[in-house]
Amino acid sequence: MYAQAFFVAVFGLAAIGFGVVVFRTSSMVRSALALLFSQTAVGCMFLAMQTEFLGVLQIMMMATEMSIMAIFMVMFMMDPGGMGGMDMTHQKRFSIGAGVVAAGVAIVVAFWADWGPVTAEAPDAAMQTRALGIELLGRSMLIFETAGVTILTAMIAATAVAIPVQTTANSADKEDTE
Amino acid sequence: MNFVIVLVALLGSVWLLAVVEGWTTTGRLRPAAPLLSGLAHLGRESIVPRTPDRVFFETAPVLLLIVAVLGAAVLPLAPTLVIADLATGALFINAALAYVLVALIMAGWGPNGAYAMIGGWRFLGQLIAYAMLIVMPITAVAMRAESLVTTVIVGSQDGLWNIVYQPLGFVLFFIAAMALAFRAPFDLPTAPGELGGGVDAEYTGVRLGVLRLARLTLVITLASATTVFYLGGWHGPLLPPWAWSLIKTLAVAVSMLLAGRYLPRIREADLMRWCWTLGIPLALLNIIVVGLLVLVVP
Repeated sequence: MYAQAFFVAVFGLAAIGFGVVVFRTSSMVRSALALLFSQTAVGCMFLAMQTEFLGVLQIMMMATEMSIMAIFMVMFMMDPGGMGGMDMTHQKRFSIGAGVVAAGVAIVVAFWADWGPVTAEAPDAAMQTRALGIELLGRSMLIFETAGVTILTAMIAATAVAIPVQTTANSADKEDTE
Repeated sequence: MNFVIVLVALLGSVWLLAVVEGWTTTGRLRPAAPLLSGLAHLGRESIVPRTPDRVFFETAPVLLLIVAVLGAAVLPLAPTLVIADLATGALFINAALAYVLVALIMAGWGPNGAYAMIGGWRFLGQLIAYAMLIVMPITAVAMRAESLVTTVIVGSQDGLWNIVYQPLGFVLFFIAAMALAFRAPFDLPTAPGELGGGVDAEYTGVRLGVLRLARLTLVITLASATTVFYLGGWHGPLLPPWAWSLIKTLAVAVSMLLAGRYLPRIREADLMRWCWTLGIPLALLNIIVVGLLVLVVP
């Protein structure tokens, strides 16, 4: 019990620490990878709380997602390496205010909410995986399928928008690259 | 105890693989060569390039080694010889090996060199090509075993190995595993002769030694995964279970090396096209066929 609380705390602090690094660095790649490791630490918190499937899934998904975000940040930011000393922050006072208020609200809710009785014994990991699968293919199926199809539609639409309109001027270039 | 045994087996396999690799490239069988070259790396100057991202530069080789070992932690050598028999083993190995990408992006970005950076980002493109072909065949394997536990997956192949039950899945997984381990013909992030070593280019001395060790460990881990998922793991006559696991793992690793020696390096765009237009439909077909077999055949 104490060991569990200890590891949840350690990974929680690691998640916050990496989260701070995201904003303390001006290198876009460092920032993206700090966010990645912050999310990995959240995944480790899941593991410490005996939710094995969710933890492993979180750790797996974040590696690729954040890496892809990193390349987009490199492509679109003017100073991706942070070596030009560019300040990329803005609206500092408003952000600090908003951050403090949001954190305060979250802490108040966490302490005041009725979380219900604490489960004495977590079901074993294989049972959790099974229960999750039955949930995903039962009650929650419609929600997840709708979300999935919506994301797929957005991806196809984004790709369609990104493909340049072919004109006679650039058709020769296109053939070269093919 | 299992931890030590599996690590020793992993190191031994890496050494054997390095010997075989040297044999196929130089034509001479020199069992001491990997050790000597490892010692030589320790003795050489370890140069740090100008204005590196020091954290990434130092972390990348170690991270690559750690994820390769973590991947091996859920793969059983024998019914009880496994470091962590997780309830989500088949998913865990994907989670561990997803960080190969993170390590390579770090190794590419860290040294502040053009070739290294191109190599690192190239692997991101490579991941988008191969990732589905790792996950979808494993899904079909888990469907047959009705479990994500790696020891149960091996148990489900008693009598009929998955290479016979789902040959399509095996072919796809084998190719994708080679792409994940960035062995030739999928060695786009290093691309010797084209990118001057790519992510390896700026590493020297001890750091290069760790990077090379990590690459070979990754090959062994993936060969072991192929063995567990498709070649019946420890099943086999006469010899003890762990011996069969090791023999099969080494056979798969060597076949990966051999396949790489006789094939030209594939282009990034071609890899992406083949994986998405041919690989993924075939992987879906594999899932459907396995699903039908699981439902129909008792």
